[in-house]
Amino acid sequence: MTAVTDIPAQSDLRLTVGAKAALITVVVGALCLALESVAPWLVKWPAAWELPATQWVGAFLDWFLNGIKPAMRLFSDLMAYPMNWANFLLGSTPWPILIGLVTALGWYLGGLPMAALGFFGLCFVLASGYWAESMNTLALVAVSVPVALTVGGTIGILANEVPRVKSFVQAVLDIMQTVPTFAYLTPLLLLFGFGPVVGLIASAIYAAPPMARNVMLGLERVEPEIKEAAIMSGGTRFQQLFQVEIPAAATQIMVGVNQCLMAALSMVIIAAVIGGFNDIGWEVLLTMRKAQFGESLMAGLVIVVFAVVIDRMSGTLATERKQYDRRVVWAVLGFTALFTAAFWAWLPNPSELTLLDPVAEAVDSGLTAFTQANGPWLDALKNNSLFYVLLPLRIGLDQAVLPFTWGFQWTSGMSYGLFAFGGAVAGLMAWRGQLTAGLVILTLIGMLETGISNLPWPFVLTAVGALSYVAGGWRLAALSVGLLCTILVSGLWERALLSLYLSGAAVFTCAVVGGLIGLASAVWSPVWKVVRPICDMLQTIPLFVFLIPVLMVFQIGEFSAFLAICAYAIVPMIRYTRHGLVNTPDEMMEAAISSGATEWQIMRDVRAPYAAPTILLGLNQTILYAFAMLVIAALIGTTGLGQSIYLALGQADVGLGISAGAAMAILALIADRIVQGFAEEQRKALGL
Amino acid sequence: MKKLSVSLLAMTVAGSAYAADMGAVDEPIKLAINEWTGQHVTTHVAGEMLKAAGYNVEFVTAGMMNQFQAIADGDITATLEIWSSNVSDEYAKKIEEGTVVEIGDLGLDAKEGIAYPAHVAELCPGLPAWEALKDCAQVFATAETLPGGRLVDYPADWGTPGADRMVGLELPFKAVPAGSEGALIAELRASTERKSPLLITFWQPHWAMSAYDVQFVDLPVGEEACFNDPAWGPNPNAVNDCDFSPSRIFKASWSGMEDKWPAAFEILSNFELAVEDQQPMMGAIDVDGGQVEEVVAAWMAENEDKWRPVVDAATQ
Repeated sequence: MTAVTDIPAQSDLRLTVGAKAALITVVVGALCLALESVAPWLVKWPAAWELPATQWVGAFLDWFLNGIKPAMRLFSDLMAYPMNWANFLLGSTPWPILIGLVTALGWYLGGLPMAALGFFGLCFVLASGYWAESMNTLALVAVSVPVALTVGGTIGILANEVPRVKSFVQAVLDIMQTVPTFAYLTPLLLLFGFGPVVGLIASAIYAAPPMARNVMLGLERVEPEIKEAAIMSGGTRFQQLFQVEIPAAATQIMVGVNQCLMAALSMVIIAAVIGGFNDIGWEVLLTMRKAQFGESLMAGLVIVVFAVVIDRMSGTLATERKQYDRRVVWAVLGFTALFTAAFWAWLPNPSELTLLDPVAEAVDSGLTAFTQANGPWLDALKNNSLFYVLLPLRIGLDQAVLPFTWGFQWTSGMSYGLFAFGGAVAGLMAWRGQLTAGLVILTLIGMLETGISNLPWPFVLTAVGALSYVAGGWRLAALSVGLLCTILVSGLWERALLSLYLSGAAVFTCAVVGGLIGLASAVWSPVWKVVRPICDMLQTIPLFVFLIPVLMVFQIGEFSAFLAICAYAIVPMIRYTRHGLVNTPDEMMEAAISSGATEWQIMRDVRAPYAAPTILLGLNQTILYAFAMLVIAALIGTTGLGQSIYLALGQADVGLGISAGAAMAILALIADRIVQGFAEEQRKALGL
Repeated sequence: MKKLSVSLLAMTVAGSAYAADMGAVDEPIKLAINEWTGQHVTTHVAGEMLKAAGYNVEFVTAGMMNQFQAIADGDITATLEIWSSNVSDEYAKKIEEGTVVEIGDLGLDAKEGIAYPAHVAELCPGLPAWEALKDCAQVFATAETLPGGRLVDYPADWGTPGADRMVGLELPFKAVPAGSEGALIAELRASTERKSPLLITFWQPHWAMSAYDVQFVDLPVGEEACFNDPAWGPNPNAVNDCDFSPSRIFKASWSGMEDKWPAAFEILSNFELAVEDQQPMMGAIDVDGGQVEEVVAAWMAENEDKWRPVVDAATQ
């Protein structure tokens, strides 16, 4: 987290904001280290000082939930109708008709490529034998998306109309996206009763924010001239909004629709955890439970196919469209109807198709062969990463360096030596005019010696406060420290630090590796052709599916969890880096080319700085994704907040679940605000 | 063994046999389908019995941990395979509220214990005697557990019975919680395929017992005294120095079921299923790839003497 502080100190005498902040952090850290032996409460927050916050939260929520329960049950009963209709409609439509409809829609939206995508995509679903389950899933999405669109659209318009609530709305949207869904499943069950409606609500909560954000962004970006024209023509505010501004923002709003669809689809697996619904997510869970990688991959791929078809088709809504020949649409539909009527008696029952079983078996035995053949070096990879990277990060060099890991025992002399080295580096850099960077390096060395899970809490509070101050001033600093204090007194601090360590390590790795892949994709387009479908798959396939091979190869433990988090969180980093680097404005490129800059000079001096805010946004998304994945990683046996949320779900402990979820959201929010603060600074520096 | 289970069945039937009202025959009785195959078999057998009695049955998928709210609300009528070793606190809450009622044991004879795939006996000679583990802990050691050996324990939300055994018996092992059943199976599978060492907390009946040739470690028999009296057992200073206490598998229903479908309530209360019946059906599904409905239908046809008396007792 501290790695972002890159504000050069101008002189030794007048300290910059960054240098002051870093200096305070170093002093507090040093004090904590020095007093560690006399005052153990500095390192470990005493249990006696903890407030029974999780119980309070639980008691309050019980009272509150029971109060609004009748109204919610009514809503739940009402939602059951469209749900049943959608289910009936999709479930009883013969499969050739549905395939024909989607193919025709594909042609209408995007010509031959889209029609082919729709046709082959649905044929894959049919061949997999999961047709009936897929239709249940589609029914869920078909009902939850309109709900999410309505809620998201309303929130977006409201925030646009009443600017005062904007920052509040932003915060609410962040919370909706960062509190892990598992955390609020228990209260949702209590409120809405058992069944698919809970999954529907959960996916609507998760899918509404992207819609709201894009509506807000779209309305904000409507040209002032257009708005003025609407005012001058004398329309009411309502008319201005719905007849001028919203149509003008249509393209951006369609991006929101697309994102909303994707988010809803990615939630189907979570909905399956509750059950009540024989959908594709339930199939994934069943096969996952038996550790059948091949089968769970096939079931997962069905979700991916839906995601890709829906994404590409709804994506065309956000761009300028060409008119395709309508006659083809009618021809496809006509052929479908004829085909269905002619072969009605011979249509196979889609649930009995098992065309992909050999593939599933081949994948499974391939995995077996792989682990058998590559066991030794994979074990070596895991052990080395644990010994030399993850363990020191977690418990510090002073505890991780042992005779049977590193070959020697860490002594306090070595600690002093390391600190002296850090001090010397800091001094040297200060002398060269880079005081802040020097102090940051010293802080990082100190953190490595102590280990993230053993960091004294005053140090963490100071460091985060200082960083927030540099990124966003006093208000952000106060907010960050205040929020962290709530975690501290609620007794979740230790677990929060463990989560911070695991997701921190994953975010760092993703930033480096993802950044490099993004760079490669931007420079050389064939790379992107390969990387893009992989990114699509990683984002939409239920992540449970990947847990099996990771477990088979690396066994239960932190390294597996780390890999699983990386697999998910690296995607936004790749996407945003590439996007930022590719979309440099033409004027800037032309200016650079005409001034005779080489390809690499352009990359370094023009494209990279221009892309920086976009890349930081990618980093921000990577952080949020890493936190989101922590809960899933708990299935492989981690010990942080994710595990608490999972425990709470099992025990129906509303208080613990919500508190742990809130703690996780707090960590994600603070990281998010700090990164955005730096992005804002960079944007200002570029004059954007 | 088969004879025993039949006579047991007959006894329970004889104990509470009286013909009850059918109740709301038109409304479907909803039975919970949880996440594991054994439970699917159990539930489908019970469902077929209810159908044979003339009821309308619906199977509803439900997460094992999250089903109790639904049962309390009557959205699900009954769930038929609850393991005492693995039941959420919510169940206790609902029992206390009186919205969910327990309706007797399923009769499955379950065993939990510290286990290993058969090939591990070569890596640690002396198994299955538990004393052998004292000396070959380093065989099981991994990066996270050094210098101790590694025991893969149940997911944290199922409790930590494996870790308790290691402490009780003073074995140099560190327990790592698995996180999920899938993770446990993946460990077993990887260990069998790679012939690598593995010590794991596991249970039967489970299809993986035979698929991966899983053996239990012999531990001192788990008597009540072992869990209360430190002096009991090989370690005079600690409790838990013995095998697992036998886990109970039972059934539960919505509290309104007895009034709404009296005969069905009686059938489910008296319904029992033996390991010898359940395990082959599980194998036919998980190993041979059969469909639950077909496998259960075949069993029902062949074993009418095992279930028909329960149905008849309640309806005639």
